[in-house]
Amino acid sequence: MRSDAAENNGIDGSFLQPSDTEVQRWMSCAFNMAKEALESGEVPVGCLLVYNNMVLGKGRNEVNETKNATRHAEMVALDQVLEWCSDRELDPEEVCRRCVLYVTVEPCITCAAALRLMNIPLVVYGCKNERFGGCGSVLDISAADLPHTGTSFTCIPGHRADEAVDMLKTFYKQENPNVLKPKVRKDSLGPAGGSVTTQRESCEKSTSD
Amino acid sequence: MEPETKKRRGMESDPDWWDFLPVLSDEMSDEVPVLDAYAAPITDKRQTSRLVKDLSVVHPLADLQHIKRVRARRDEKEPHALEVLVCLVSDVLTRPQRPTLIDLLSSKDFNVKGLGEPFLVRIPARAPLTRPQFERASRHWPTSFHEDKRVTLGLKGQLFTSGQKAKFQEYMTAAVEAARAGREEGMEAVGAAIIDPKSGQILAVGHDLSRDHPLQHAAMVCIDLVAWGQGGGVYRYEKHPACRYTASDPQLSSGASEEGVQPYICTGYELYITREPCVMCAMALVHSRISRVFYGTSSPDGALGTKYKIHCQKGLNHHFQVYQGVMRQTCEALTRPR
Repeated sequence: MRSDAAENNGIDGSFLQPSDTEVQRWMSCAFNMAKEALESGEVPVGCLLVYNNMVLGKGRNEVNETKNATRHAEMVALDQVLEWCSDRELDPEEVCRRCVLYVTVEPCITCAAALRLMNIPLVVYGCKNERFGGCGSVLDISAADLPHTGTSFTCIPGHRADEAVDMLKTFYKQENPNVLKPKVRKDSLGPAGGSVTTQRESCEKSTSD
Repeated sequence: MEPETKKRRGMESDPDWWDFLPVLSDEMSDEVPVLDAYAAPITDKRQTSRLVKDLSVVHPLADLQHIKRVRARRDEKEPHALEVLVCLVSDVLTRPQRPTLIDLLSSKDFNVKGLGEPFLVRIPARAPLTRPQFERASRHWPTSFHEDKRVTLGLKGQLFTSGQKAKFQEYMTAAVEAARAGREEGMEAVGAAIIDPKSGQILAVGHDLSRDHPLQHAAMVCIDLVAWGQGGGVYRYEKHPACRYTASDPQLSSGASEEGVQPYICTGYELYITREPCVMCAMALVHSRISRVFYGTSSPDGALGTKYKIHCQKGLNHHFQVYQGVMRQTCEALTRPR
């Protein structure tokens, strides 16, 4: 299906094999965004949706500010692509079929399914997402046989994986002020990247160590 | 509206009329796997306790704590009333066609007094988790079973009272009405509602909006509407009057007033949805910490029973209960071409 669409549009499909330079360039942007997220107390994940060497969508996790647990970086970026298409009256499916997602962490199961529904063909990512990963870590939604859930996509994993893991570790050592965690990790150090303020009494308990 | 539809709806207005079932993990719903083993008749009853003791030294069956070592004969025609489990077939190194006790009990010191010739049996490889599993597994060989009464009642459709079912019906009716409103707008006819079971309040009602936004399925819409009720939220719904929310009333929600805790995403809430959620929505419900999901009808790529069971997926940090079949016929009728 995908190759048919590419032929019909006279596209050679080279976007499906980005050069090392391209990968380094876009992933570097994604990593900068993840650092920003970490500094503002959000999960350190950054991502970009690139189409024809243009960044159509840029996202970082916005769960805490929106109180919507699905506002992962990918979802934020996908919304920007939709807006970009709507402003230009372009068919989002046509555009998405030629987009590459660059993201610091393997997309979760929700995002992997969303990427399928949007027909994104290629995902380049940093480290594995052992907790929620939808491209093989917990489930492999990217390649699964789900005929009613968009199209499957290809993954290029492992770019600067150690760095991405380190950022996640730093984040999880801090306490997320919006989650009421009953368990406090004994090995947790003080907040490493930026201070985390707690707003509610019930949270102070979990951060008081 | 043709009379047949009216009749159907009329019947489903009686909550005792429809049945719904829990969607259990594969471990709870599949057949308990079996292992091949050797058993032997006890020809001298007085030797029973000694044989059990000695056998448990030679073949301890350490990973099979649920297995009862001795069973009553299955065939009344057998001369001996009791049979004892000797060992697993995999415990025996050499496997002759018809092994003798000597083959099975490699220890020369074993006193085989009171033990008859071995024969092949099948034994449950793990303890059963539900009553139907227990009943089927026990046909092979007796096993212990720690019954979860709620699961047993759930599988019989007797877990909830008529009063509770009437409530479920009220919530699902809100979802069905939203689905119809969505269909009028040219959307997929899928509707959903999120409620706080502590207060009984309907916090959000929404329907599919995927014609305008490919990711705005009914469950995603409801999750965002709950966020609006908590001072967050992402999308605007002014053009869709059937998509609406109410902030959770702390006076009504006993759980919130108890601890002085603000509501956090969908923690403790329930989703009622006309059709089984897809992978994206099912995992969004995990992220949102939903406590229970009730759906009407299955969907081909469904992730709460059909293709996946995300609600009890190993490795995920939050699990929830799922029931399917709530107002099934009404929900099925929504997607049927008119």
